[in-house]
Amino acid sequence: MSSSDATTAETTPRDGRTDEKGAAIRAVGRIGRSALLLAPAVLLLLLAFLGPVGWLLSRAFTQPQPGLQNFVDLWERQGYLQVLWNTVAISAMATPICVLLGFPVAHAMTYGSPRLRRWLVFIVLIPFWTSLLVRTFATVILLQRNGPVNAMLIGLGLSAEPLPLIYNMTGLMAGAVQVLLPFVVFPLHAAMLRIDPAYMQAALTLGAGPVRAFLRVYLPLTLPGVLTGATLVFISTLGYYVTPAMLGGPRQTMIAQTIQDQIAQFGNWGMAGALSLLLLAVSGLVLLLLHLTVGLKAVAR
Amino acid sequence: MAAISHPRLTRRTLLRGSLGVAGAAALGAAPVRAAEDLKGKTVVFASWGGAYQDAEKASYCDPFVQKTGARVVQDGPMNVAKFRTMIESGAPDWDVADITIDFLYAGIGDKLFEKIDKSIVDTSRLDPRFVNDYGVGCIVWSYNLGYSTKAYAGQEAPKTWADVFDLKRFPGKRTLNDNVVSTLEVALMADGVAPEKLYPLDVERALRKLDTIKSQTIFWSTNSQSQQLFVDGEVNLGLILNGRAYDAAKKGAPIAVSWEQNIQSVDYLVVPRGSKNREAAMHLIDVMTLPENQAKLANIIAYAPTNPAAFKDIDPQIAPWLSTAPDNVKRGFVINAEYWRDNLKKLQERWAAWKLA
Repeated sequence: MSSSDATTAETTPRDGRTDEKGAAIRAVGRIGRSALLLAPAVLLLLLAFLGPVGWLLSRAFTQPQPGLQNFVDLWERQGYLQVLWNTVAISAMATPICVLLGFPVAHAMTYGSPRLRRWLVFIVLIPFWTSLLVRTFATVILLQRNGPVNAMLIGLGLSAEPLPLIYNMTGLMAGAVQVLLPFVVFPLHAAMLRIDPAYMQAALTLGAGPVRAFLRVYLPLTLPGVLTGATLVFISTLGYYVTPAMLGGPRQTMIAQTIQDQIAQFGNWGMAGALSLLLLAVSGLVLLLLHLTVGLKAVAR
Repeated sequence: MAAISHPRLTRRTLLRGSLGVAGAAALGAAPVRAAEDLKGKTVVFASWGGAYQDAEKASYCDPFVQKTGARVVQDGPMNVAKFRTMIESGAPDWDVADITIDFLYAGIGDKLFEKIDKSIVDTSRLDPRFVNDYGVGCIVWSYNLGYSTKAYAGQEAPKTWADVFDLKRFPGKRTLNDNVVSTLEVALMADGVAPEKLYPLDVERALRKLDTIKSQTIFWSTNSQSQQLFVDGEVNLGLILNGRAYDAAKKGAPIAVSWEQNIQSVDYLVVPRGSKNREAAMHLIDVMTLPENQAKLANIIAYAPTNPAAFKDIDPQIAPWLSTAPDNVKRGFVINAEYWRDNLKKLQERWAAWKLA
């Protein structure tokens, strides 16, 4: 599925170039037909995304008064850096969990029987199509003190009393991981599909044990998929709002909640803008690191 | 998100409505409308959602719709920053909003409200304590100690705020408001401060007291959530609004409240400055002050009326749940809205920092 997406992504520019030639012949000026076709999307992005975001970010420097006061406050006042640290730590925790859980699923999706594959795609996609809010509420119901998970643990004699599974880090991780899993499963699946099975056979026939063959041959080949998935998960988690608000506790406050509080409770657009800029900077930094390590090109493939 | 309350919107009523508009337009300068004729007008009403707004819709808005033919659009939840931003933009989406007393005082200072038009709103019906030039009190409510009747069966029930902080006698999860307002008062009373000596609040002392139960406390951010925590048995005791506790109990949750040290407050109805439907909004507020409508609301959610004539129509079973019941007034006190008007912003920041620590 994702692999076919990838192939279309690759072919589109080529088509675009031939279209451009045709357009030039018809003397539409320098603007190609494909560029014209892009115009509505670009316009929408400008109006509905870049405009408002730029406007919010600019307020970081203009409200309440022009200058860098908001950033000084960010640095000096209690709490803000703690929230930023929380946010990065939570994302850094959710990412490996997603990769570890997602890897076997992607593997089974790639090499299982067609029937199993169909089911797995279906199972991974179904929650993907369900509203985030609905799934988060469902997690609340599952994990609460008198919820089914605790009832099961007590019924099986694994716990004497209900465990605190919610309004803390456990609840937040459960909620975040189940929502983010598809983001790591599909890039991994796409990467695995591109691996020629002959490599593994070759490694095995040349005397590597299964573990060594996996670690030295297979795993490195899946690395672009792992990194794409991990990056998607990490960056998505950075901006999480609903999940920590509903499943986390006060100590799991994340930066998006603080941005919302700044606007909704204090009407402080300047500080909200400064925090948003910080969030954007952290996301940019992660992408930069990824680019420096494996290169964005490899990931985009 | 906004639900429209309208007497069964069929093609025919819609047609009639639009004909009414056309007719009025054709007449040009129409004669002064009677209160009953607001056909084609829309009033956007913003409140706090959940069981409370449902009750307001049934007891205030629906009778108003029936009486005047206007439409009422329910919106919300009420949010102070949103309210301010709307006024700043010059075109508020809301025409009538249900706000708490601290925001009433802050908002008057910042000129956020239209003056109440006393030629439309008959404020003489109300207890004069709840009438302001810019807002009309609609309910009196209180923060109470709520507890699960199941969790502490066979022992003395929790009674005072000190009990909420007593992890030995009352173990298990508790809940408090994720808001400095009320939570600091509760902590100080639990620490032995008498209600009349609370203000100005000793913030750091309150937070130190809160530290003692922080790990056992779930902080609710909406009233609906406070109800849900009790309904699901997620918490054993804590702070809840009296009406929400009543609603939960009515729906079968094992919850009871203590009236010791209850903190009373008032909700006001205001018209945001620059409302496009100022006149219709005033008519809606007028309907909201009628005794039968206030009684209806109290019968649904146990928030006390501001119109004294409403008490006679309130179900005697509900009376003990009302904040204004003489016994309950005696045991409680009214929150210091002026203190919160002056200190809210600063203390909210302190609160946010405390939560993370």
